[in-house]
Amino acid sequence: MGERPASGGPAGEPGADAHRRGPWPPSPAFVSALLLGAVVTAALSLTTLIVYHRNEQRLLNLRGRELSLVLAAQVPSLQTPLASAAALADATGGSPRRFRKFMAPLVGAGRSFSSASLWPVGRMPLAPVAVVGPRPALAAEAARAQHFLLHGARPGALNVLGELSRPHPGLGFAYVAGGYAIYAENQLPANRRSKIESNNAFSDLNYALYLGHSEHTSDLLLASVTTLPIGGRRAKDIVPFGAAAFTVVVSSRAPLGGVFFSDLPWIVALVGGIITLAAAFMTDRLFRRRRDAEALAAQLDLAVAEQRSISQTLQHALLPDTLPALEGLEVNARYIPAASGVDVGGDWYDVVDAGQRRVLLVIGDVSGHGLRAATTMALVRHAALAYASQDARPGAVLMRLSEFVTRRGGHDYFATVLCALIDLDARRITLASAGHMAPLLLTGQGGDFMDVATDLPIGVAGDPAYREETVSVPPGATLVAFTDGLVERRGEVIDVGLARLRDLAMQSPGALDDLVSRLARELATEDHSDDTAIVGIKWQT
Amino acid sequence: MADIEKDDEAQAAIGRGSDASGAPLLTVSGELDMSNARELEAAIDAVAGERPARLVFDVRDLRFIDSAGLAVLLGAAARAGQVVLREPSPAVSRVIEITGLSTLLTIEQ
Repeated sequence: MGERPASGGPAGEPGADAHRRGPWPPSPAFVSALLLGAVVTAALSLTTLIVYHRNEQRLLNLRGRELSLVLAAQVPSLQTPLASAAALADATGGSPRRFRKFMAPLVGAGRSFSSASLWPVGRMPLAPVAVVGPRPALAAEAARAQHFLLHGARPGALNVLGELSRPHPGLGFAYVAGGYAIYAENQLPANRRSKIESNNAFSDLNYALYLGHSEHTSDLLLASVTTLPIGGRRAKDIVPFGAAAFTVVVSSRAPLGGVFFSDLPWIVALVGGIITLAAAFMTDRLFRRRRDAEALAAQLDLAVAEQRSISQTLQHALLPDTLPALEGLEVNARYIPAASGVDVGGDWYDVVDAGQRRVLLVIGDVSGHGLRAATTMALVRHAALAYASQDARPGAVLMRLSEFVTRRGGHDYFATVLCALIDLDARRITLASAGHMAPLLLTGQGGDFMDVATDLPIGVAGDPAYREETVSVPPGATLVAFTDGLVERRGEVIDVGLARLRDLAMQSPGALDDLVSRLARELATEDHSDDTAIVGIKWQT
Repeated sequence: MADIEKDDEAQAAIGRGSDASGAPLLTVSGELDMSNARELEAAIDAVAGERPARLVFDVRDLRFIDSAGLAVLLGAAARAGQVVLREPSPAVSRVIEITGLSTLLTIEQ
């Protein structure tokens, strides 16, 4: 239907309709799905990024702490030989020979110290009595030596002196016990650069090590990088080192949690983007399909309503539009199409003036449904009216009608017909039935179905006879004739439906119009898959 | 209103065979109305081609029959010498009685 120019359907003007079918502009559903997906993806990516950064910082803090512990673990390896040398000096009365002998294996390139010296602290001016390795610069600076060894040093602890501004920078370590101070030096690389071997446990870190609590370049001992201070994501730790302290600053060379986690935000963004795009296209498709289906359903509804309206128009065209008006007699009729019906049915009724203040009631039902049943019904109905105009006796009408239908041939349908000739002044009803259900007669005493001999339906046998029954009725009597749709229900014997009709009719005194309306409303609605006709005739006196 | 019709379409099952006397036998069960009467008509065409003297319908499991279903049975009555309905339910036999068709269709209980 997309190709067809819009034919006034409910979809709206043709231009807009054709326009909306193209891929552009995208439908609101597409845009909404895209926006929603983008927001969700961005939020997820951002969350992943934040989690990644937090995790990296946490790992870096842990690694920095590990490095601090390793550093702090170096203190005993420096302090123990110095403490031992001090104890030895104390025991030997400061023997230079014993001191040199003890310290010689520890001093030299690749060993613990670059030089070591023994200072008696009680003697002034302060000067070393024995030196292993080069003579320390401190030996030439009596005031400084006095300040460091006598006043600044904490007895029984490893004291640290930064000799950082000298041509050969180094660190001095002092241990003071008894009357002696042991002073040893360690050289630092002139540029303070330290390479980290790739197999080192800390090869994933950049670090800078300072003496003291600050990051002043003048206090720098060692660093793995040239650009200082270390920027970016970093962890800083103060490490107690004997009586002094070192400041350790680290940063990571590569993501500590692994490359996958550093890429995760981008992976999330990429996958989210793809899913969002796919979902948006899917939503768009569903949206368009639903719109098409709704348009189709609306057209179908329209077509069904149109068909039903045609059926009902046809049906009403086939039924009488006026009923005879005789003084003293009230006539009322209803036709109810099948509940589900787009089909026309085969039920009909006629009430015609038969002269001499008589009316003839004809009500019938052609088997089947649809146009064929309706056209057959129209034929039978008009034939009945034609025969009735010649001879209005019910038996005669039915016999001629049967002959006519049988003569036309075809055994695929039949009709049940009830004829009742009503004599208004004599209050007499003469009935004949061609397979049709007997009408209901309501009187002041109650109500019951009339006793009428049921003969064969019309169109069944070639030469049938139709017996007539004549009944006198009391004043104010009401005759209710109907077709089987009013009483027939699946799953029950027809007598149950007949009893239901009789009971309801007897509970409904009053105007004929009310009675017929109520029967139609309450009996022909719930499951009436069949069409139904009802005719009521009431003597006013 | 888009759900059109067909929800109340009747279901009938039709079986073919022959009875003890050799007459064609059709077993009809379920509900027979205008929506499926044509199926029965086709089944009758298949067994009643030669104007049999007797045509038997086993209707003990037929719960409902409407005027279209009756029309098919009457069509069969016009083509066979005798049409027998075997063991109809009260619902079915009352409809046949009320429409006066019991003179055309033989009922065997």
